[in-house]
Amino acid sequence: MDKFDRDPQNRGQGFGTLSEAQLRNSDPDFDAWLGQQLQFSEPYLDDDGFCDGVMERLPAPTRRSEKRVTHTQYAAVVLASAIVAWQFPFAEVVSQAASQSISLYSLLGLGVLSSVAAMFGGIVAARR
Amino acid sequence: MDLNDGDLIRRIVEDGDQRAYAQLVRRYQSQLRFSLRQLCDGDQALADDMAQEAFIKAYKALPAFRGDARFSTWLYRIAYNLVMSHRRKNAPEVDQEAVDRAQAQETVEEAQQLGMARDLDTAMQELSEPQRQAIHLCMQRGFSHEEAASIMKLPLGTVKSHVNRARAKLQTLLQAWREEVVSG
Repeated sequence: MDKFDRDPQNRGQGFGTLSEAQLRNSDPDFDAWLGQQLQFSEPYLDDDGFCDGVMERLPAPTRRSEKRVTHTQYAAVVLASAIVAWQFPFAEVVSQAASQSISLYSLLGLGVLSSVAAMFGGIVAARR
Repeated sequence: MDLNDGDLIRRIVEDGDQRAYAQLVRRYQSQLRFSLRQLCDGDQALADDMAQEAFIKAYKALPAFRGDARFSTWLYRIAYNLVMSHRRKNAPEVDQEAVDRAQAQETVEEAQQLGMARDLDTAMQELSEPQRQAIHLCMQRGFSHEEAASIMKLPLGTVKSHVNRARAKLQTLLQAWREEVVSG
């Protein structure tokens, strides 16, 4: 059964005449309990396409900020490639290749091709 | 990774990163829509339109957001302004069909709710609208009195008075539930 108090007798002679003492009487326990109950009784509203609706109506981002993002991405990829190149033991590989009698030109071509592929992949991934 | 509001706002403003804004929308959509449904007298479609409008307006104004207040306070201020100006323009118009539909739906949902939630809802209906809003913002949303005053565009003293009066009314109305909790 509901415990909602509908009896005006129990409402301190109606709400218009709550005493000052009642108004000032802040009960922290009641506040905490009320806050908890209010939050408990609130349903979570599913997104249900709401967010998509908002995003569709947003103005396109400015070209300046797009360019800035692109430049940052390219800079990150170039930096990463430079670090890899700096750490790569080219001399060792070349001497190993020479001893294995692999053509230096084929090796160079392979290296350039894989670097280009890696950079291209990196840029595409970064842009995504 | 969940970034805080400030970081997301920085990404949006500096990099034009709309995905960051989508994250903010998802973070606040439920709370804002729920709050606006109460402000729009249960008209869910209108509340959702207003919420959508508020998010779009907030996005456009984001470069001017100085971060003096929390993003949520700022967003609520925009949303409340929109609803109030809509009300001024369309004073008598409430989509009664939408309200009836929502209420019918609520009746089904309410039947599944605990008695406490139902009584709390009934008790909230006994409050005046400003009192209901003040209690909602301060005790349900956790805004400070100052933040609620800035959202509702009311003097701080008035908001405090609304909260105190509403609290006293609710305390009387929900006495029986409280006693049950205290007595275990």
